[in-house]
Amino acid sequence: MTEPYAVPVPRGYRIGGWEVREPIATGAFGSVYEGRRRDGQPATAALKFLPTGTGTPRQLTHLRELVEREVELYRRLERPRLIRMYDTLVVDDPERPELDGATVLVLEQAQTSLSALLAARPRPPSGPVLLAQICEGLAQLHRAHWVHGDLKPANVLLMEDGSARLADFNMAAELEGTHAYTPAFSTPDYTPPELLWAEIGERGRRIRPSADVWAFGVLAHLVLTDTFPLPGGTPSARRDAAAAYARGTDDLRLSPELPDDWREIIRDCLTRTHAERVTVEPLLRRVETAAGTARSPRRVLARPLLAHRPRRRTLTAAVLAAAASAALGYGISTLSADDDTGDRGQGPSATATVSSATYGAAELRTGKGVPAAYRVLIVESAHDCAQQDVTPALIAAMLKAESDFDPDLSDPANDEYGIARWTPRVLRFWMNADGTPADTVPEPPFPPAESIPAMGRYLCWIAPRLDTGLPGDRRVLIAAAYRTSYSKVNDAGGVPEKYGAYAARVARYLKEYTPPGRT
Amino acid sequence: MYSIIVVPPPTAEDRTTPTQLRLAPGERLTFGRGAACAVRIPHEGVSRRAGEITAQGAFWTLSNLSGRQTYVVENPEGAGEHIKVGPGRLEAPVPFEFSRIVLPAAGDLIGIDVWAPRHDYLRADGDIEGTTTAPAFSVDRSKRYFAVLAALCEPRLRGAPHAPPPTVDQVVERLRPHWPAASRTSVQWNIDYLAVKLRLKPGPEEADPGPRLNGKKESLVSLALRFDLVREEDLVVLTGPGGPAR
Repeated sequence: MTEPYAVPVPRGYRIGGWEVREPIATGAFGSVYEGRRRDGQPATAALKFLPTGTGTPRQLTHLRELVEREVELYRRLERPRLIRMYDTLVVDDPERPELDGATVLVLEQAQTSLSALLAARPRPPSGPVLLAQICEGLAQLHRAHWVHGDLKPANVLLMEDGSARLADFNMAAELEGTHAYTPAFSTPDYTPPELLWAEIGERGRRIRPSADVWAFGVLAHLVLTDTFPLPGGTPSARRDAAAAYARGTDDLRLSPELPDDWREIIRDCLTRTHAERVTVEPLLRRVETAAGTARSPRRVLARPLLAHRPRRRTLTAAVLAAAASAALGYGISTLSADDDTGDRGQGPSATATVSSATYGAAELRTGKGVPAAYRVLIVESAHDCAQQDVTPALIAAMLKAESDFDPDLSDPANDEYGIARWTPRVLRFWMNADGTPADTVPEPPFPPAESIPAMGRYLCWIAPRLDTGLPGDRRVLIAAAYRTSYSKVNDAGGVPEKYGAYAARVARYLKEYTPPGRT
Repeated sequence: MYSIIVVPPPTAEDRTTPTQLRLAPGERLTFGRGAACAVRIPHEGVSRRAGEITAQGAFWTLSNLSGRQTYVVENPEGAGEHIKVGPGRLEAPVPFEFSRIVLPAAGDLIGIDVWAPRHDYLRADGDIEGTTTAPAFSVDRSKRYFAVLAALCEPRLRGAPHAPPPTVDQVVERLRPHWPAASRTSVQWNIDYLAVKLRLKPGPEEADPGPRLNGKKESLVSLALRFDLVREEDLVVLTGPGGPAR
């Protein structure tokens, strides 16, 4: 043991049916011990102690949140390449205040970790195969709409048969639209440049699945060459190198030891911007080809994404691209739904065919004058928001009221432009999909593919800020807040008088665009 | 991805909201009387190309391009701590989180403020190898901004979970015993600096230069408590001997 354990637990300590044996590892937050029990299966497990008790000396509020994330992921996801959780326990032992109240996760026991393997044997011959398995684990997470958020060798565990599984899901988060919110923690060497010194909002830091892809690129370079891809002798030097690379002042110089196929793979993981990064499915295919492993079985299901939240779907990259082309008037013909149901289903692969003229018809009426070219953008921008009042019909009604769907609207007198009548200095804060403000105030024209998703993001931000007791249709209140501000609507206790006519128009179109039977 | 912020001497136009120039690691900025300089200092006593600031990761360097003048870089919070950068000295490293470059200009002293909000500080349980998952924030508990943050968090840490953060005036009162020079302006300055340092996402209200970001104090407090930047034992900075500097 080279470092003090975050949670010291004596050998022989009993918790539930388990007896604590040897220490296995410690991390920044908790410590892991081997556990054995006399009866029942499995006979051994890894017991992860997290100091969540109120009397523990390092009582940390953020820990509780981190533990909840991990437990939530384990409860919801069981995948072949993810470590399994058998049980959770809470220590009830007032005699030991340092342990009392600690959460214990009973986890599948692994043999060792990738970081221990790399320390003992740099450039292990099994490296490519392990990378393929790690990538498969990432794919299983991403298909289930989760982001790991802290992929690194210490969080890759190796089982007795030598295969790899992902673990440590304290930073993991479920995607909401294109992003997830994670606590503002990270491991510097594996953090993509866009998250270095990223802005932190009330819910934490917004990350995308592409953050895991960057971390995978770093990890692959380390496994294959025993060096980090970015130069520097310390983490902060490498962080500065990452920043310089991302700004375009430096090129990426990968190790000459890398075989060509791996060089290309790592290069496509370590792109300067998140948007250029390869997504996990094509990445997995390329990694498996490079590693010479069989293609992992893939299950594609004929059911809506995220069945547990039927109204909400994820604005995937494919849909976004489709939406952009639809906005250009090309129409859209196919949308494929790809989801992983884990251990149950083996449905046939399915492709839903939707035409842009009827896209989202269940939530946005057809034949009422909403231009077909904008339907995908409107529907998906609304779906990208988890606020139930931000609906496709609301966005459509507002676009009608704002500009009568005129993408070229230009009103310099009021400083408003485009289909959503964006004021440039306000649009600046909503134009980026990751929620960061643009560096400069944008200049019109603002095309619908930019204006409409930005409108959806702004409405999504407004919705929870309106007081709950306000009278009237919340959707109309949201629209009024878009015109003025949420605080003005709160202060006025409803739609401010000045915006009454606008609100009435939105209400009228809202009724017109909402399919019968929906509210 | 900036790591250094340069605040040029205020000009007549921006007396209310001073300009801030942000530099990413590796970026440079020249200052002087000449029109080609990024920061123009229209004072006869200043050289045409007086100097250059370069962001180097979390710290910065100063090049003195003048022929005769020595520049002093002082730490405004450091009780007289300063370094001198003689004429012709290139890329002298500056170790302070807050600095003021003082240019002697024909009897006047002109100050350029430079902040390095990305300085790292050892955490109680942290290592320096960079393999441990680490919080995204790093604060210096001996700085005044930390005392201000502690004062803002105090009501909630003392057991009133929904207490509104204290007003700026209340913070001034709270800190004055150990920081006699505390004033509304200096406390507000520290609050603004904390928003930069903790990278609060600016709200849309900030698009207007008019009203200040609503709830900035509120956001700082909730962020600081959520990530345990200030804990109950840290409140000694408000009362401990020697004031904010422990």
